[in-house]
Amino acid sequence: MAYLVYSILDPNDIWHWDAPYAFVVTVFRLLSLIVFFLATTMVSGLASAFSGGIMPENMIVGLYNTLVLRTWYMQPYGVTDPLTNVQEVWASFQMNLNNVLFALWDNTFLFLYFLCAGIGIVLFLQSLVRMDHRFVGGAFLSIQAIIILAAFRALIVPDIAPFPADFMEFFLTQGQILALVSFAYLEVSYQMIYSASVGKPVEDREETLKKQLLALRQATRKQDAIERGEKVSTTGMSRSTGATAFSFLREAMERKVMGGQSALESLDAVSDVRRLQIYVDDLLQTDSRARDELTAKAAAPSPMYVIGSTITGSAIRFLTVVAVSFMLMNPNFIQMVLNLPIGIQNSVELIQPEIVVLFLVPVVGIFPMAAAVISWISKREVVEKEKLTKEEKEAEKLRKSELDRKRKEASKARRERAKARRKRKGDESGVDEWDKALDDAFKR
Amino acid sequence: MITQRGFLVVFAGVLLLTSGFSFINFYLVLLGVYCVIGLVVTLPLFALTANLAGIEVDRQIDKVKVFSGDFLRVRVTIRNVSRRHFDFIEVHDQYPETWILAIGENFMASRIEPGSSMTFSYILQARMRGRYYLGPTEVIMRDRLGLHYYKRILKEQTEVLVYPTWKDVRRLESFAKQRQLGLMFGAHRTKTVGMGTDFAGFREYVPGDEFRLIDWKSSAKRGDMVIKQWEQEKNVQIICMVDTSGSMGNGYPENTKLEYAIRAAVLLTYMGLERKDLVGTCVFSDLVHGYVPPGTRPNHMYDVLEVLAMAEPQGWSDYETAISHVVTQSKKRSLIIWLTDLERSPAPLLNAMKTLVANGHKSLVISPFGPWFEAPVGQFGPVEKVLSEAVSEELWERRNKIARALSRFGINVINVGPEDFLPTIMQTYEQAKQRGVAMF
Repeated sequence: MAYLVYSILDPNDIWHWDAPYAFVVTVFRLLSLIVFFLATTMVSGLASAFSGGIMPENMIVGLYNTLVLRTWYMQPYGVTDPLTNVQEVWASFQMNLNNVLFALWDNTFLFLYFLCAGIGIVLFLQSLVRMDHRFVGGAFLSIQAIIILAAFRALIVPDIAPFPADFMEFFLTQGQILALVSFAYLEVSYQMIYSASVGKPVEDREETLKKQLLALRQATRKQDAIERGEKVSTTGMSRSTGATAFSFLREAMERKVMGGQSALESLDAVSDVRRLQIYVDDLLQTDSRARDELTAKAAAPSPMYVIGSTITGSAIRFLTVVAVSFMLMNPNFIQMVLNLPIGIQNSVELIQPEIVVLFLVPVVGIFPMAAAVISWISKREVVEKEKLTKEEKEAEKLRKSELDRKRKEASKARRERAKARRKRKGDESGVDEWDKALDDAFKR
Repeated sequence: MITQRGFLVVFAGVLLLTSGFSFINFYLVLLGVYCVIGLVVTLPLFALTANLAGIEVDRQIDKVKVFSGDFLRVRVTIRNVSRRHFDFIEVHDQYPETWILAIGENFMASRIEPGSSMTFSYILQARMRGRYYLGPTEVIMRDRLGLHYYKRILKEQTEVLVYPTWKDVRRLESFAKQRQLGLMFGAHRTKTVGMGTDFAGFREYVPGDEFRLIDWKSSAKRGDMVIKQWEQEKNVQIICMVDTSGSMGNGYPENTKLEYAIRAAVLLTYMGLERKDLVGTCVFSDLVHGYVPPGTRPNHMYDVLEVLAMAEPQGWSDYETAISHVVTQSKKRSLIIWLTDLERSPAPLLNAMKTLVANGHKSLVISPFGPWFEAPVGQFGPVEKVLSEAVSEELWERRNKIARALSRFGINVINVGPEDFLPTIMQTYEQAKQRGVAMF
């Protein structure tokens, strides 16, 4: 795809290999002018404040020489020697600013072509290693961005105008081949990502389990060694197999190190790790399927089937997309379906790209609608309800009624107690010693 | 539903289409059309195959009741009962936030054929006591290119009851082993002669005495038959009153006053059962949430654990209701240990004590002091520091007054913090045994 774009855009003479350098140099030149402008303005202001509004020329020239020439070793545009007269500098500045801006504008595009190409290639290489859709999408967009930029600059770019009415003619057009290759890249990459991702979780689980068991074993052995009074050479496990790969151990270690009641926390953490080791050992010994279930080995799909289905799936999708797209863009098809008056048929609007929208929007809308209808017919929307058995429902009901009963009883008892207390208070025959104790305690 | 990947394709399609329209370029338009059509063209087929109702998830666990800190294996089986395959299915089985995933992963992604199933498992560590639910299970189905997805949440949940931690008991056991402490019952001595292990004296044989009680050596020396007598050993009855009012929930998570009170109750019950003493537990706030009468049944410990596992800090402390319930249920003289923070008004507490003493019970209050369970004062700013110190002083003064009032009737109040809560309960139990409080 990248090569096709390169070769198609090559007649424009845009692949100047010094374009990035030229861009950077231009940016620096522009910056030097801006810095000079700001510096002179500031210095002039300060100098005029001290010398009654007269600007010392030598100072400005010196400043320019220091700031621009000595710092960046560059000459202003169109000048070969350092300028000694500030008026010349100003004249040069005014003259060169436009030139620099124009040069920057041109160079920016040249630079962007390279930048997009570079990003595209880097993302493509990343996608080969990491199998992530973001890299694939990024690579696709970066390469297409070169054509979009070139189209903006009105350069020679791949085009399919006028759009062919014959399918074979359309199929063999240079622009169509590039579009097909670009889309195929996207399609095949996504299919490959699927093939990789459908088997990867099982592999990852297996790998993670291995690391976890190894880390657990190491931690237990280390602890045993410490208890036996032996010296332990390393303070921690490797990052890949050790605590970082295993949140439980990490957490246990944190508790051990950071624990508030250090001795007891440490004891707990060690005990947890050891108990987990015993639990896992016991599990693996007593249940022969335990390891396979932990890795979910049985869930791995057959690689041959995945490859086969990927190829057939891609081919079907590919052909369908090309056929539907051709129909949508074919002017004959549009004319046939719309059956427009001859005047409109000959109108220039029908050969504009925007005409695609006329069919694209409804056709694109048909597919999700069809999907929605299918989902509705097959009653996909499962309304999930809490699945409680009859016994569980009854138990819940019983629990609630029991709680209500208890509440009622408690409030009734409280009322009765309060009533009795009021009655006793009214009696005043004798002061309760408990009440007296309370009064005494709180009076003090 | 369109995935992130799908949105990227939409973006690319729209960008290319608009660029094509702007620069009148059919190549860009064609590529844009490819992207947009490519996004939606297989959507009806995906909708036809993605029958998520055909997915069944079955979750199995080894135990439904575990101790806090124990490990639990969760097995999840996903069945495709439909007649179509699923190209890519993701299953996330959810577990409580406070638990730790110890081994394995609670996530699986694969392809599943019609009528087939796949099983994965993972090991969790249950961390905090209480009633928990494993699940729901989230099932996500994607198309081959990952452009669209359907999601379904299977709300089937598995209930797990997590008992309070057993680590204190384990520590106690290892400590006891180190000190070679015997686990025989009846550490308390009485002056009553009967069956026991401590020598009490000799008496003359009277007809009817069992021959096995005759001490033949002494009989030979005396020339008359002598019976050897032993001091009878008796046990105590204790009822642990665990206050679960809202204020007991204050403190660091996992280290609240209530959690310590529960750990203390577990420890006390365990120690009591080991020595064949009767230890009951009452969990109360504004009503009695659970009461396990003193007993030595094999399942007694589990009954206590179950009641304690369900305890939640809520409501207020109604001591009178709690003691009325206990007094009506338990007629025998008991030592009633209150595990309460005394943050309610003192009058109801004194009334409760009155009832308790009137029924012949003994009582003791072990009271966690709130500020000791909360953030250290050093972590506060100057204003908060002053405020917290003022509150602490106020609370301290208040509980001293309650303690003074109760001490007039022989009821001690012991203020405890996180460090000395468990040692205090052990010490209290030992002292009760030594003093022979509430023997039966």
